[in-house]
Amino acid sequence: MQFKKFIIIPLSALFLALPQMKAQNVTDLIISEVAADGDANGIVDDYGNRHGWIELFNNSQGTVNYGGCFLSDDRSQLKKTIIPKSDRRTRLGPRQAVLFHTSGKSSQGTYYTDFTVQPGKTIYLTSNDGRTIIDSLHIPSNLPIGKSVSKMALDEKQMDWQPLEEFTNPTPGTPNGIGSEESNSQKMARQDPYGVILSIVSVTVVFTSLIILWILFSTLFTEKRKKENKKAGRKVSTDTMTEEIAVAIGMAIDEELNGETYAAIGMALHQYLDETIHDQESFVITIRPSDNSSWTDKTLNFRKHPNKK
Amino acid sequence: MQQIIDSLQQFWQYTGFANCTWANIIMIAIGIAFISVAIVKEWEPLLLVPIGFGMVIGNIPMFPGLNVGIYEDGSVLNILYQGVRQGWYPPLIFLGIGAMTDFSALISQPRLILIGAAAQMGIFGAYLLALAMGFAPNEAGAIGIIGGADGPTAIFLSSKLAPDLMGAIAVSAYSYMALVPVIQKPIMLALTTKKERLIRMPSPRQVSKKEKILFPIVGFLTTAFIVPSGLPLLGMLFFGNLLKECGVTRRLAETARGPLIDVVTTLIGLTVGCSTQADKFLTSNSLKIFGLGLLSFIIATVCGVLFVKFMNLFLKDGKKINPLIGNAGVSAVPDSARVSEVVGRESDPTNHLLMHAMGPNVAGVIGSAVAAGILLSFLG
Repeated sequence: MQFKKFIIIPLSALFLALPQMKAQNVTDLIISEVAADGDANGIVDDYGNRHGWIELFNNSQGTVNYGGCFLSDDRSQLKKTIIPKSDRRTRLGPRQAVLFHTSGKSSQGTYYTDFTVQPGKTIYLTSNDGRTIIDSLHIPSNLPIGKSVSKMALDEKQMDWQPLEEFTNPTPGTPNGIGSEESNSQKMARQDPYGVILSIVSVTVVFTSLIILWILFSTLFTEKRKKENKKAGRKVSTDTMTEEIAVAIGMAIDEELNGETYAAIGMALHQYLDETIHDQESFVITIRPSDNSSWTDKTLNFRKHPNKK
Repeated sequence: MQQIIDSLQQFWQYTGFANCTWANIIMIAIGIAFISVAIVKEWEPLLLVPIGFGMVIGNIPMFPGLNVGIYEDGSVLNILYQGVRQGWYPPLIFLGIGAMTDFSALISQPRLILIGAAAQMGIFGAYLLALAMGFAPNEAGAIGIIGGADGPTAIFLSSKLAPDLMGAIAVSAYSYMALVPVIQKPIMLALTTKKERLIRMPSPRQVSKKEKILFPIVGFLTTAFIVPSGLPLLGMLFFGNLLKECGVTRRLAETARGPLIDVVTTLIGLTVGCSTQADKFLTSNSLKIFGLGLLSFIIATVCGVLFVKFMNLFLKDGKKINPLIGNAGVSAVPDSARVSEVVGRESDPTNHLLMHAMGPNVAGVIGSAVAAGILLSFLG
């Protein structure tokens, strides 16, 4: 029962967190901004011409390869423009944007489309299977010249992007709304220059985490132990070392060692007694045979002559 | 003849003698001092020998552009250094720590977990002081983590928050970890009475195998859901412990706590040492970091000991905790627990505190990883 409690609580938390989890692949791309043709002050492409453009944004924290995906302005023809798979530049870093010029001629390069962007149309980004629409963005027919339609991250942490109802000034190639975001450290320096708030919050979180562990282990396991003891019809103090506990610890250690210690000692003794193992030797013979060894020297082996006085 | 002289002169320009500065010599001397202390005094030799020798390697004066320096892209040392720079090594070390740590002391006396939390005050004390000294919040956070007394955590966090200060922070953290007996003992004696030092704690109870298996799972889910930014450290720590306790992955556990952690410790020590090139290390900031690191250790020890005394106000006789285990709340495993044992036995040779001190000690490992996660989420 206690075990089930332990499993159910974390699994429930995991289930609640599932919708927040995201993968890092082409489905993380979004069409973040589109500007229609006809803006005389719009950006100039590599050929010196002005067109509409489509901005794609990588919403994930990993690099995404969008080579092989399709761009189109027609729901019934999703494969109008293929983004070349062989181009090694088709890798988009985390939280980065890339721009496609809608010149109507994809032969001009990787970042050009076979269609132009007109108000009233919807732009589709399709996966490399040619069927799965990754994202789309509708261009209202009343889009004024010199304005763009875009999506903005409503939640900067989760990056929940939603189309803006109002038309915006074009920001080609720049992540919408987060380009000028200050770092957490800068924000903290502004909001909490002396660090008191962060310290209080952090200490609270550290204590909370460990207090939860304390409660979990001091309540659930203590209850379990008491029940087991009750079931076994004995009363064992949880805080004092008894002979029973000492024996149990000894048995647990023995079980943990799995008898291997004794096996190793037995094997070592067996090999030693059978002389199957020896100490390491240097293989250098240091005693050389000599005819003049003290052992063979007769002069040293004879008794001394009796001392006649 | 002139050509030979020119060639020799050119070769001379490549040698360390021609490029040597006083800063290089100072750093090499510090490196040799580290090695000497590690060998002669046996203070954290597994860390100080690689770091010390790394300092010597990193400070050999040389002609820039040879593609051998640690800060030169593509060099061997640079490739090995990526484990530090990108934060791969610390989680691998935590895997090994998890596989060699026995959490029984903590499971049997869960109240000791709180001491591990209290000792993390050193981190935030140092954070406040670093801010007051003019460091930016991200730098202050990276410096503060020295107070956690956990080298891998310090490297992990500083690589994310303040990579430029990482060398000084890592060396400072490991140096003070080696000096734990020197720093903590006088504080413990100053803050406790003779009577308190004689407190005998009840023996810890037996911990079942099921409890040991459940601990890493429950511990990980609890802490990781609260502080997901600590995932690499917490995940590896508890995973390593599960390998150890589950009983069916003995080979994996032995690899994690043996060859793997040895390899990574060697590489992390050596590359951290190499990263202390004189031109990047010998700055006024490094001196400030060393000062703040010492203060953070002192604050952590003080808070740990005082927190135990505070807990004792609410505990009945027979249940009281010996305040000498308060210092073990910092996660220098098992050095700070050993200090508790040694100081405790000086007062009463029959009073063994090691087993009790291991509880807050391993709680400190969890606490410092949680604290690192919090700082990363606020300042990263």
